Amino acid sequence: LGGAVSALVGGGALSEGDLAPALDDMRRRLMDRNVAAEVADEICRSVGASLRDQKRASFTRVKTVVQAALKEAIMRILMPQKSTDLLRAVLAARDAGTVYSAVFVGINGVGKSTSLAKVAYYLKTSGVDVMLAACDTYRSGAVEQLRVHARCLGVPLFEMGYAKDPSAVAAAALRHAREQRHECVLIDTAGRMQNNKPLMTALGRLVADNAPDLCLFVGEALVGNDGIDQVAMFNEALASASAAGAANTRQIDGIILTKFDTVDLKVGAALSMCYHTGQPIVFVGTGQKYSHLRRLNASFVVKALFS
Amino acid sequence: MVLQELGGKLSAALRKLQSTTVVDEEVVKAIITEITRALLESDVNIKVVMELKKNVEAKINRSEDASGASKKRLIQQAVMEELVAMLDPKTPPYQMKKGASNVIMFVGLQGSGKTTTIAKFAHYYQRKGWRVAMVCADTFRAGAFDQLKQNATKLRVPFYGSYTEADPVRIAEEGVEQFRKDRFEVIIVDTSGRHKQEDALFEEMREIQAAVQPDNCVFVMDATQGQAVADQARAFHEAVPVGSVVITKLDGHAKGGGAMSAVAATKSPITFLGSGEHFDDLEPFVASSFVSKMLGFGDFGSLLRE
Ligand SMILES: Nc1nc2c(ncn2[C@@H]2O[C@H](COP(=O)(O)OP(=O)(O)OP(=O)(O)O)[C@@H](O)[C@H]2O)c(=O)[nH]1
Ligand SMILES: Nc1nc2c(ncn2[C@@H]2O[C@H](COP(=O)(O)OP(=O)(O)OP(=O)(O)O)[C@@H](O)[C@H]2O)c(=O)[nH]1
Ligand SMILES: [Mg+2]
Ligand SMILES: [Mg+2]
Repeated sequence: LGGAVSALVGGGALSEGDLAPALDDMRRRLMDRNVAAEVADEICRSVGASLRDQKRASFTRVKTVVQAALKEAIMRILMPQKSTDLLRAVLAARDAGTVYSAVFVGINGVGKSTSLAKVAYYLKTSGVDVMLAACDTYRSGAVEQLRVHARCLGVPLFEMGYAKDPSAVAAAALRHAREQRHECVLIDTAGRMQNNKPLMTALGRLVADNAPDLCLFVGEALVGNDGIDQVAMFNEALASASAAGAANTRQIDGIILTKFDTVDLKVGAALSMCYHTGQPIVFVGTGQKYSHLRRLNASFVVKALFS
Repeated sequence: MVLQELGGKLSAALRKLQSTTVVDEEVVKAIITEITRALLESDVNIKVVMELKKNVEAKINRSEDASGASKKRLIQQAVMEELVAMLDPKTPPYQMKKGASNVIMFVGLQGSGKTTTIAKFAHYYQRKGWRVAMVCADTFRAGAFDQLKQNATKLRVPFYGSYTEADPVRIAEEGVEQFRKDRFEVIIVDTSGRHKQEDALFEEMREIQAAVQPDNCVFVMDATQGQAVADQARAFHEAVPVGSVVITKLDGHAKGGGAMSAVAATKSPITFLGSGEHFDDLEPFVASSFVSKMLGFGDFGSLLRE
C-alpha cells in the first residue's frame, strides 16, 4: 500500500491524529455503500497504517491522500489474481476431450438458476455444446424453471424430478453428458442457508463426489454483512467434505454477483466478497434477461464507492 | 430465536454498563460505540444508526447531572426506545374480515421470498379455518406458475394461473374475480419480483394493483440484505399502498438489520417473520415484545425496573 503515497514528499508527516477523522469518514462512507463493517474497518486500518509517518505534499489535504490510497487498495482487491475466462477453460477441456462441469451454489433466491441460464446462453452463443443439470430436487418449481430455460435456449436438460439425492442426479447427469458427448455441464443446486448443517453437508458431498471443474458461488449485490459469512461457510462446507484424503481442499473458485442492477451506487458487496475469499468475481448479473451477464468493471465499483 | 446475535451483542453492551460502578463520559462513549458497532454489523441503515446514536447521546446529555445509577437506566431506556421506534411505524396492521373477500397482493424484490411466503400465509389462515385461494400473476419468472401450483397442490388450496397468458394484469383480474364470486375469504395474489430501477416493472405492479384493488399490499423483504434495501422499500411504498411487511430468511445467520431499518420507509408494520422453507416456518410479529425479547427481556426488564 505504501507505493501509492511514497511519491508524496514535502509537507508534514501524517500522524495518527491527522488521519483519524479522514479514515473515520471514509469508513462510514464505505459502509453506506454497503461494504461489510468488518471489511471497511480492516481496509481503512491497513491504509491508515501504511500512511502513518508518510510525508505529504504541501497543500494536499489529508482527505485527498487517504482517498487516493484507499482507491488503490480497493482496486487491487477487486482485480483478479487468476484468470476468470470461463470460455477458455471450457474450450481447453474440449481440446483435451473431457466434459467441463461447473456447479452453482449459494443461499436461497440469490439468482443461481438464472445465472446458470445466462452462462449457458453465453457458452452456447460461443459455440459450446452445453447441457443443464437440474440438481435442485427440493424447491417447488425448480425443475420446471430449468426446463423453461433449456427450451428457450435450445439446450438439453438432464433431470430426474424431485426428492432424489442431488449428488446422484449430478453423477447421472455427468455420465449422460459424457455418453452424449456434450462439452459442458452446468449443475444447478438448491438454495440453502449457510448455517443449515445438514444441507451444507449434503452440498459438500455433491461437490466432493462429482468433482466439478468449477464451483461458482452466487451471491447478490443486495447482501449486507451476511455476505462474508456466506462465503466463509460455503468454503468451510466444501473444505470439510473434501478433507478426507484429498490432495488439496476444495474451495469456491469464483463468484457471480447478481442483481447488480438493483443497488445503484451501493456496490460494496463486490468488495466484501472479493476481500473475504480472495476469489475473483467471474460474472456480474445486471438484469433478468439472458444477455444480462457482464464482467466486473473494477473501476466502476471504485468510482461508485467514492462518488 | 431470530436476531439473537444482535440482541446478544446489545444486551452484552448494556450489561457491561451494569457492572461498572462509575459511569463517566468515557464509559458512556465506549458503550455507545459498542452498540453502534453491533447495529452496523447487523446491517441497520447507517443513517438510522447515526440518528439513533445522536438521539441517545442527546437524551444522556440532557440529564448531565444524573447520578451513575440513573444514567445507566437512561442509556438502556434510550436504546430500547430508539429500537422500538425504528420497528414500530405506529400504523395498525390490516385486519382480515371473516366472511368477506380479503384480497392480499404480495410484492417485493426478485427472490425475496414472495411465492414461498404466500404458501406459508395460505397455510396459516387455512389452519385457522379461513377459505383461502391463490392467484399467480407472475408471468415472467421461468417456472413461477409451477412453483405456486405445486405449493397450492400440497396445501390443497385452489389456485388460478396460466401457462400461456402473458399479461399478469389480466390473470390477476380474472383470478380474483372468480375467487370473489366463489366467496373465498383470503385471496392471495402473487406477483413477479421487481426493482425500482426498472420503470416498466413498477408500472406493471401499479396496473395489477389498480385492477384487483387489493385490501392489503404485503411487501416481502429479505433479512440477508444490506444498505440498498431501504431505497427499494421506499420506492415500493411510493408506487403501491404497502400495508404490511414480512421479513424472510431469518433462519440464516443474517441479523436482519437492513430489512428492519427499511421498515420505516414503508410506514407499515411487520406482521410476520419467515424462518425457513417449510409451510409452517412463519411467525406473527409484534414490535415491542420483539425488541424486549431480542434484548433478552428477562434480565433487561429487571434492569429497567431497578
Ligand atoms: N434484477 C435482477 N434480477 C435477477 C438477477 N439474477 C436473478 N434475478 C432474479 O432473481 C430471482 C431469483 O432467481 P433464481 O435464479 O430463481 O434464484 P435461485 O438462487 O436459483 O433461487 P433458489 O433456487 O430458490 O434458491 C428471479 O426473479 C430472477 O429473475 C439480476 O442480475 N438482476
Ligand atoms: N431459508 C429460507 N428460505 C426461504 C425463506 N423464504 C423463502 N425462501 C427461499 O428463498 C427462495 C426464493 O423464494 P421465492 O418464494 O421463490 O421468492 P420470490 O420472491 O417469489 O422470487 P421471484 O418470484 O423470483 O421474485 C426459495 O428458495 C425459497 O425456498 C425463509 O424464510 N427461509
Ligand atoms: Mg434455483
Ligand atoms: Mg415468486
